[in-house]
Amino acid sequence: MSQESRLTPEQIVQSFQETFPNNIRDSRIERHTAGLKKTELVHIWMRMDREKFKDILKHIMTIDKAPHLAVVSGYDSNETIELIYHFSVYHGTPYQELSLNFVVSLPKADPTIETITDVYPGALITEQEKQEMLGVVVKGIPVNRRVFISDDFPKGVYPWRRDETGPAKMVKNLHHEVKP
Amino acid sequence: MVKALTKSFKKSLWVYHCNSGSCNGCDIEIIAALCPRYDVERFGIKLVGTPRHADVLLITGPVTRQLVEKVKRVYAQMPDPKAVICVGNCGNTGDVFYESYNLVGPIDQVIPVDVYVIGCPPRPENIINGVAKAWVKLETLEAKR
Amino acid sequence: MSTLTKTTYQIPIGPIHPALKEPVMFEFEIDGEQIVNVDVRLGHVHRAIEWAGTRRNPIQVLYLAERICGICSYCHPMAFALAVERIAGIEVPDRAQYLRVIHAELERICSHILWAGVAAHEIGFDSVLFLTWEMRERALDLTEYLTGNRVTKGITMIGGIRRDITPDMHPQIHEKLQYFKDNFEKIRHIYLDDKTFKMRTKGCGVLTKEEAVKLNAVGPTARASGVKIDVRRDQSFFAYGDLDFDYITPDVLTGEVNGDVYDRIIVRLLEVKQSLELIEQSLKQMPEGPIVAEPKIAKLLAMLKKADGEAIGRMEAPRGEVFHYVKMNGSECPYFWKVRAPTYSNILPWIPMLKGEQIADIPIVAASTDPCMSCTNRVTFIEKNNSYTLDREELHRRSVEKTRRLCP
Repeated sequence: MSQESRLTPEQIVQSFQETFPNNIRDSRIERHTAGLKKTELVHIWMRMDREKFKDILKHIMTIDKAPHLAVVSGYDSNETIELIYHFSVYHGTPYQELSLNFVVSLPKADPTIETITDVYPGALITEQEKQEMLGVVVKGIPVNRRVFISDDFPKGVYPWRRDETGPAKMVKNLHHEVKP
Repeated sequence: MVKALTKSFKKSLWVYHCNSGSCNGCDIEIIAALCPRYDVERFGIKLVGTPRHADVLLITGPVTRQLVEKVKRVYAQMPDPKAVICVGNCGNTGDVFYESYNLVGPIDQVIPVDVYVIGCPPRPENIINGVAKAWVKLETLEAKR
Repeated sequence: MSTLTKTTYQIPIGPIHPALKEPVMFEFEIDGEQIVNVDVRLGHVHRAIEWAGTRRNPIQVLYLAERICGICSYCHPMAFALAVERIAGIEVPDRAQYLRVIHAELERICSHILWAGVAAHEIGFDSVLFLTWEMRERALDLTEYLTGNRVTKGITMIGGIRRDITPDMHPQIHEKLQYFKDNFEKIRHIYLDDKTFKMRTKGCGVLTKEEAVKLNAVGPTARASGVKIDVRRDQSFFAYGDLDFDYITPDVLTGEVNGDVYDRIIVRLLEVKQSLELIEQSLKQMPEGPIVAEPKIAKLLAMLKKADGEAIGRMEAPRGEVFHYVKMNGSECPYFWKVRAPTYSNILPWIPMLKGEQIADIPIVAASTDPCMSCTNRVTFIEKNNSYTLDREELHRRSVEKTRRLCP
């Protein structure tokens, strides 16, 4: 990609805000420097609504044709489940890469979200992981099964949850098992 | 120790390596013990590909829920007399993984262990020392038969 | 095909095997010798590390992160430290940034040489396995000299690094680096010019550029397919911004990109050379100064206790991009910690790589991504209506036989 067509971090945030005026909130641009030359790195954080989230993630393709999806992470914030889609764009040119992080909240009563595997096929494993770890329901996931925890792991226990569906009951302390 | 060793040199020892959820640290040190620097094959110690051929089981890791049945099965497949060496702290006590929802270990809760090798990961010298101790044990078992 | 019964029985253990010794399960659909479809099952070594991390303080988490993987025992705690430093606003001293580069590159040398040995073993070249592992011991000697440990290094600290490199250590380091430089040509000749190696690896396990991008491949696996992606060069962290180096894709050497196993060997070999240069550059350019932002642990912990926010830490591990997401909320332990190891992203690319290959090529193709959490220990084959299993030894035997057939 040529240098001219690159957007600055501010322009990227603006582009998202203009395209989705009602669905992007709390944008934040984080800058850090490293080394003696103080080369800069930029992380962009945006919070998005669940309604338009897929269109927003598709919009990344207009910034960079081949964005890199690192992973989808997520945590239980007591009232809601937060999912964070970590992308990066503009890799391939020295120190121009930008990390884009999109946060979406799901209410615990209805933790469903659409799959993005039709747009980003590499998201399959990470979406499966979110289902088993957080109890999120990914609609339209091509292969619906567990990846990291075994099939005999009790249903309804989600290891990353902080409420009653968490793994507290299953915890074993190995140090207590050691015979002196 | 030295006395017992010379006697037991009559037999070459075949070991089988089993990973029950370790971090690779112990496993690469086991392979390092086989490579030119330490070269245990000169003592006749050899890693084999199936537990049915093995005298000694080298087991690493804190035993995850998925692997507990398989570890028991590997142990059952080994012919008698057999010795089990638990390599690394996490198999002995759980080490940093002590608190978890997906672990069943330590290994001696799953299968009987004869020699405990400590270290995270243990150095190859330490692993070789553990195998030599198992050797003595096997010789004793053999003599009793 | 729907009438076939798939058995999901598996045995968790790979026998003697340096890279493929962790359990994972593949299900292959085979038509004669050719692979029609592949399915991967994971999770046998799930130890709940991310969950345990939310019950310990950040400095304890460093030691937990170190034990995510014994081979990448430097990059995981470092990526975690990067994220925590960004949340707490800790400025890492310049000297520590350079020391961090040196250790990262040393780990890359160890890991790539380890991988080279495994690749040789997979195609039945055990003498090369022993040759490379002998070289690896020298790298481990240097690691031990610099950190005090061979495998888990215990060198990371939030805000810096725990051991300095003093001028009297330089001769020893240069001597070890010289050893690798002297032997590089020998290794290059074995891996890139040898007839057998070429026959077994050229055109084998191809991953196209499109697929690599689509499936988010990372590290040498992606670069061998011609994707320029390398966190060291893409984003500035540590002192990489000050150093002179470039993306390594196979066309640097051969002028073309095929995305096969041979190209992955080229990328890793050239990266070993690049790492040697980076260590030398860092030693030369390293400024004087402190090596840690806050030497008093209690004070550092108190500082981290107040930290509130979220951040990501990315760095280039030997196998590709390591990604850590940390959220802290002003309490003693991190609120949430997500670890994304490079193999996580390199699992899906296995499927296009393995499709259409022969059974004997499975070990080398699977090993070519340098899988860090996996093992083709027991594979289920479905042929006609009978399903049968091959264990790793049988698989390895077939691979060795193919080499002999090609090169009598």
